[in-house]
Amino acid sequence: MKEISVAFLLNGNKTSVTSLPNRTLLDVLRTDLGFTGAKDACGGEGECGACTVILNGKPVNSCMIFIGQVEGTQITTIEGLLEKGEYHRLQKAFVETGAVQCGFCTPGAILTAKALLDENPHPTDQEIREGLSGNLCRCTGYNKMIDAIHLAELGGLDD
Amino acid sequence: MTDQFRTVGKSLRRKDAWDKTTGKALYTADIPVENVRVGLIIRSPHHYARILEIDKERSLEVSGVLAVLTSDDIPGAKEFGPLIPDQPSLARGVVRHLGEPVVLIIAETKLAAEEAATQIQISYDPLTPVFDPIQAAKEDAPQLHQDGNIITELNICDGDIEKGFQDADHILEDTYNLPRIHPGYMELETSLAVWGDDQTITVWVSSQHPFTDQEFIAAALDLPVGNVRVKSGVIGGAFGGKEDSSLSILAALGAWAIKGTVRLVNTRRESFLAHPKRHPAKIHYKLGARSDGTFTALQAEVHMDTGAYASYGTAVAAILTETLAGSYRIPNVQVKTLVVYTNSPLSGAMRGFGSPQSHFAVESMVDSMAEEICMDPVQIRRANILKVGEKMFTGVILNETATALPICLDKAQDVIDRFQAVEVSPGKKAGVGMALAAQSMGLGAHVPDDSTHRLEWSLDGKVLIHLGSPDLGQGLAMAVEQITAEALGLPYNQVESLLLDTLDRPNGNTTCASRMTYMAGNALIDASEKLIQNLLAHAGEILEVPADKLIYKEGEIIKEDGSTLPVVEFLGRLAEDSITLMSESTFSFPYPEETTPQDLPIGMPHVLYCFGAQVARVEVDPDLGIVEVTHFAAIHDVGKVISQSGVEGQIEGGVATGLGYALYETMLKKDDQWVDSFTEYLLPTSKDLPNHFENIILEIPEASGPYGAKGIGEIPLVPTAPAVANAVKNAVGVRIKKLPITPERVLGFVD
Amino acid sequence: MQEFNYYRPVTITELKENLSQPGTRILAGGTDIVPKMRQGKFSASILVDTSGVQAMRFIEDQGNEIVLGALTTHQEAADSALLKNINPALVMAVESIGCQQTRCRGTLGGNIANASPAADTIPPLLIFDATLLLQSLSGDRRIPLEKFLLGPGETDLQEGEFIHSISFKPMFGLWGSAFIKVGKRSGMAVSIVNIAVAVELNDKGKISDIRIALGSVAPTVIRCRKIEQSLIGKEPKPALMKEIQDACQEEISPITDIRSTEEYRDHAAAVIIHRALETAVDQAKGKTR
Repeated sequence: MKEISVAFLLNGNKTSVTSLPNRTLLDVLRTDLGFTGAKDACGGEGECGACTVILNGKPVNSCMIFIGQVEGTQITTIEGLLEKGEYHRLQKAFVETGAVQCGFCTPGAILTAKALLDENPHPTDQEIREGLSGNLCRCTGYNKMIDAIHLAELGGLDD
Repeated sequence: MTDQFRTVGKSLRRKDAWDKTTGKALYTADIPVENVRVGLIIRSPHHYARILEIDKERSLEVSGVLAVLTSDDIPGAKEFGPLIPDQPSLARGVVRHLGEPVVLIIAETKLAAEEAATQIQISYDPLTPVFDPIQAAKEDAPQLHQDGNIITELNICDGDIEKGFQDADHILEDTYNLPRIHPGYMELETSLAVWGDDQTITVWVSSQHPFTDQEFIAAALDLPVGNVRVKSGVIGGAFGGKEDSSLSILAALGAWAIKGTVRLVNTRRESFLAHPKRHPAKIHYKLGARSDGTFTALQAEVHMDTGAYASYGTAVAAILTETLAGSYRIPNVQVKTLVVYTNSPLSGAMRGFGSPQSHFAVESMVDSMAEEICMDPVQIRRANILKVGEKMFTGVILNETATALPICLDKAQDVIDRFQAVEVSPGKKAGVGMALAAQSMGLGAHVPDDSTHRLEWSLDGKVLIHLGSPDLGQGLAMAVEQITAEALGLPYNQVESLLLDTLDRPNGNTTCASRMTYMAGNALIDASEKLIQNLLAHAGEILEVPADKLIYKEGEIIKEDGSTLPVVEFLGRLAEDSITLMSESTFSFPYPEETTPQDLPIGMPHVLYCFGAQVARVEVDPDLGIVEVTHFAAIHDVGKVISQSGVEGQIEGGVATGLGYALYETMLKKDDQWVDSFTEYLLPTSKDLPNHFENIILEIPEASGPYGAKGIGEIPLVPTAPAVANAVKNAVGVRIKKLPITPERVLGFVD
Repeated sequence: MQEFNYYRPVTITELKENLSQPGTRILAGGTDIVPKMRQGKFSASILVDTSGVQAMRFIEDQGNEIVLGALTTHQEAADSALLKNINPALVMAVESIGCQQTRCRGTLGGNIANASPAADTIPPLLIFDATLLLQSLSGDRRIPLEKFLLGPGETDLQEGEFIHSISFKPMFGLWGSAFIKVGKRSGMAVSIVNIAVAVELNDKGKISDIRIALGSVAPTVIRCRKIEQSLIGKEPKPALMKEIQDACQEEISPITDIRSTEEYRDHAAAVIIHRALETAVDQAKGKTR
């Protein structure tokens, strides 16, 4: 099995990795690049969303993407949400509403929420439930996440 | 009554939440560490088999392999168990469930470990497994353990059961079947063990009981307990399933074997097969009532499937049995519970701990009886709920907080009226159902239950809580910070909890049993008072005045002349003399002799109860049998809200888990394997939960609780499944006696 | 995880060349293949990643035919105004698949090649007699989707071939369609049984065309052609429904598996046949006003 070189934009930075091709984006992020915000909770089946990152503006399960597939793409992980040390409005909102309990699903949920709001700035509860349906949470029952996403809508939170 | 509290009762921001939103929070799989080796566990492919031989010779020759360990290699205790030490860390001579750990491989890389796994020769002699606890309880069943298959038999009687049924005008009998479900925490079991100098080891765990892990690891490695240091990583949920030391013992064993660093992370499949789940139970339930609705007799027989190893089976049986009569007065009771070994994956602690099972039976049966005698389901409950000072059938006397029961029913009635008025979607049949719940707190009488916590006033003015029990993600740290801040009159941000470390934190005991806010809260209120006394004593010495001439208030010392000095100044002075201002307190769970029946087995009874009720509105597709919960209300008495958002979060999350139990979750057999992934084990997603959710929180002060608080950790998922089952009955006339309530079951295609 | 060598073509020409090598298999979105490889259920000596071949991501109205590039993602299909208009059943189907994360990666071609009898995109394509354009270094061929699907997980895809695009002819005139899926859970639901139907009425209100495709009730998604034929010229009355349900049930062979039982699937199929046809007929009638 030959190693491959992959170049992509990671949290705005040009990044290049050399890796065996049968490794997933999740594995490379966590092991090679030290970004442990994305988690494995279902064994790489795409059933839980804890590994969610944003790829070219869309939320995706990084556990189901081979590293070669991210060539030339733009990827945002949860670590990329802090801007100059400032929390993103979604991060603030999740903390504010009590949407964070054990926190294991939180990075994935926040990124899914970000992608949702970027595309649909004023979603209904149903649209939020639809958008979050790929992010499993066992702690919160999702109610406060929905509150957080509404709070984070433009104009909903004092920056 | 106006709220006098400055911190308690408010919705404040969890301090640990920020790092969780940025990915900085370090769960045990994230902790960066050098030279970490890979562990791989070879697990039994059989449900039940003798191990004839394990030949590891060729595997040891694989390049990169550092150790290949079997039970023989464990230097100390080869078995462990919280109640009965019957669980081998690595299988010895026999495997009793699919997925049981047999061999532990430690290697430099995953590839080397996987290669070594293919080189190990294990020969098994498969035996005929038994999965049904009723079958396994019989004399002729394969005996899975030395002392037979029945671990526990509980028999409790009260009154005269024969007379009780004679007095009844109506008698109903049914069998309720509760499935095996998984706690479903998102963070998989993980342990990181680092071998140190001088026969010491440090082990990071994701665990509800680090001090117990410390004990079990020391026993397995034949080390003094003091040589084992256990540290708590940030925990990604536990729900009972992490009251289990199996993985931390193996990680420690691996680190000991190579004198290095080993991290073990379970896959989701391993978690399903080898970590504790909720006990499946078959409950045969017979209830007698008069025509006016009063209950006269209850007879029940329960078979609990504890799986291959005992884990907390006996303790779960205790709570299940004690709550078979729910919140009701039933003068004649005869109940029997058997906890039985089978070759299923083991069951143990899971949030609710027996109560969800018993409540499914009692709350379904109560509704059935209401229908039988043509009585309203709320009315029949009113006629039978226990009052303050009355005894449960176990002899436990309910304290003044039992006034919550009629209030819960009043609130439930309001909700039912409103939910019944909701317009029904076209083509659907709507129904509303309720259930009542009583959930115990504590480990049960005669089980030592002391919880020690410590306070330290650090130089910068922050009060540090040396919390002796882990925060599992539920917000224990925030709750105790609010309590301590309140007790010391300080702002919330001036108090901070530290992560647990057996090296220098006190032993607060296991976080479980809906009791840690109560216990740690009480301990910390007392520790706060002690801290203030210590402070005043030292301040008096420094100021050369008698301590009783000084007053402490909200971070300041007030002198007799009214002038104030900030505490921080004194801390600096003390530091010069190498004195750190600290205090410690131990709270023991109270089992007052006068009100605690003494005639029951150890661990029974539980004497302090939380009460609640839940109401579900469902719409059922009558042709497809699909049940949708459209509206839900949770009514819970918490004594005193410590953290408003914390309590709400526990209730909302608990109900979601309860709805999973009701509608989606079951770990079935599949082609002679077990369902072992989220593809087939269905947790509720955000789309599966009702958008209309009412959180109705009652505060009926518990005299023994910190600021009157009680527990809330478990009860939110206790009445959920019967509330939904009762709603489904109301909607389509089908009485579901087996969970989950699937479309196939609603339409009668499966039993 | 399976080991493999990895190619990433960017043009269709490169893709053809890559696939002409022995031992190659195609990777599109990866939502089926990556988990399967991890579970040891799929292997390849060379994995050809097509996710960079932009030329195969398109939705085109070519006059009397709609052509969908095989690498169009489910999300892209869901967002297509054209498809909402011309094949709303397909849009409903793609919206119901998995979750946001998997819809952004899963592709129409990948879903077809995976050939699950429960695939949601297949019934809405089958009712429009979709055909596939298969390409390889040695040439192109067209094949009806119905003939392409051979069994659960089995297709007629030959070595060196890939699905370039999917075409179908929409209905015009007084027509309606429907898609219904029955799952065990609302979110991330796998179909226990699903259906797509399309009905066209003539100006006398009689059935001039009717297509019924059922999924999860046979080794492949199936068209109920026998009953379809017999309904031409008839009036879409409630009385007809029992005849249609009975006839369709003759053609299906549901099984019991971990998700559901044969009996439930059989029963649910009858229910959704009724509902889907009712919806489609109402829609068609609505177009007369």
